[in-house]
Amino acid sequence: MPANHESGSDAAKALCRQFDQELSAYLEGEDKPEVLAHAQQCPYCGVLLTDLEQIRFASHHLPLEPPPARVWANIHASLEAEGIIREQVPAWHRWLPRLGFLPHSAPVGALACLALVGLTLLVSPRSYETPGDVEWLPASGKTTAAGAFVPVLDDELTRILAEMESVYRSRESFLEPALKATYRKSLASLDASIQETRVHCQREPGNTLAREYLVNAYQSKVEVLASALEFVAR
Amino acid sequence: MSTDKTTATKAVTETQQIARAQQGDEAAFEALFSAHKRRVYSLCLRMTGDTAEAEDLTQEAFLQLFRKISTFRGESAFTTWLHRLVVNVVLMRLRKKGLQQVSLDEVDSSQEEPVKRDYGDDDRRLIGSIDRIILDRAIAALPHGYRTVFVLHDMEGYEHNEIAQIMDCSTGNSKSQLHKARLKLREHLRRDQRKRSGEAPREPKRESER
Repeated sequence: MPANHESGSDAAKALCRQFDQELSAYLEGEDKPEVLAHAQQCPYCGVLLTDLEQIRFASHHLPLEPPPARVWANIHASLEAEGIIREQVPAWHRWLPRLGFLPHSAPVGALACLALVGLTLLVSPRSYETPGDVEWLPASGKTTAAGAFVPVLDDELTRILAEMESVYRSRESFLEPALKATYRKSLASLDASIQETRVHCQREPGNTLAREYLVNAYQSKVEVLASALEFVAR
Repeated sequence: MSTDKTTATKAVTETQQIARAQQGDEAAFEALFSAHKRRVYSLCLRMTGDTAEAEDLTQEAFLQLFRKISTFRGESAFTTWLHRLVVNVVLMRLRKKGLQQVSLDEVDSSQEEPVKRDYGDDDRRLIGSIDRIILDRAIAALPHGYRTVFVLHDMEGYEHNEIAQIMDCSTGNSKSQLHKARLKLREHLRRDQRKRSGEAPREPKRESER
C-alpha cells in the first residue's frame, strides 16, 4: 500500500485532495507539474490519472457508425417532394454563373466555343477532316492551330483558354501550396489527355469515342480553371 | 499522395459538390451525404444514446442542411458549418423533450450525485484497451448534461468557450461537467470490469474509515 493512504495522515490526504482539485485543469492542458509529480508518487492518484487519459483517448477514437440505408432513402424522398432536387442542365452550364468575376467574354466565349466544337465533332464526324496533317485544335491553350475547317473556332478557343489560364497563373500564388499543386497536377493531366485524344482523333477521324473524350477533356479543363479562379478570387 | 494533397483534393471535390448541390444536383446531394453521414449519425447517436432518435435527427439535420445549402458561401469550413447545425438540431430536440437543460449553470447542482473519490480503494487500473461497446454503453448511460459536454469536448473537439456558448453556461461549468463526466465513465467502466471478473461490487469507503 502506498504511504499516502496507508498512513491516512492528514498531510497525505491533503496532497490527494489538492491533486483532485487540479486534475481537471491538468487534463485540460494547463501547466500543473505538481499533478504529475503527485501521480508518480501516489499509486491511487496515478491510476486515476492513467484511467482518465485512457478514457479520453478511447472516446476520441471510437469508430464512427454508419446510419441505416433508409435514412438516405427518406432524405432523398423529402428532397424530391420539396423540389430541391432539380433536373440537371449540361455540365458546362453550371460553371457559367460562377465566372462572374472574370471579364465575361472569356468564360462565356470558352463555353460557347466548347459547345460549338463539341457539336461539330459529335454531330459531323467527317466534317473536320482537314487536308493534310494540320493541327486543328489547341493542345493546352498554348498551341496555335491552323485547321482548315474550324480555324475561327480553333483560334478563338485557344485564345480564350489561354486567357483563362493566364489569369489563373497570375493569381495562383494566392493559393495554398497544396491546393496550387493539386490544380497544377490536374491541369497537366488534362493537357496530357487533350494531347493524347487529339492524336487519336487525327489518326482515326471516325472514332466517335475519341471525339467524345476530347470534348470532355476540354470541358474538364474549363471546369478546373473556373474552379481554380473561383478559389483565387476569394 | 501526401496528406496535404489529399486534403486539398477533397476540398476541391467538396467545393464542386457543394456548387452542384446548390444547383439541385441529385448526385452531389448523395455524395455530400455519403461523405458526412457516419460522423453526423455517430454524433447524434452519442448525444442521444438512442438509435431511433439518432436516425431521425440525422435525417432532420441533413434535410436542414440541403434546404439551406444555397446560402452557404464558404466563409467557414463546410464541415464546421454542418456540425454546428447538427449540434443545434440535437439540442433543440433534447430541449423540446425536456431532457436537455437550458442552462447548465441552472442545473449544475441538480445533476446526479457527483462521483466521490474513493481514497484507499484498490489501485488497479483499467486493464488493457477499453472495450468499445462498453465505453459506448457507458457514454449512453451518462446524465444528459454530462454526456453533451463530454461528447462535444472529448469526442468532437469543441473548446470549452464554444460549449459554453452553445449550452448557455459558463466555461467553468463546462469544465466541471466534463470532469465529472469522465469520473462517471471511469466508475462505470471499473464497475463493469469488476462484474466481468466475478468480483463483488465494492462500496465506497466512508470518510471515517479512511
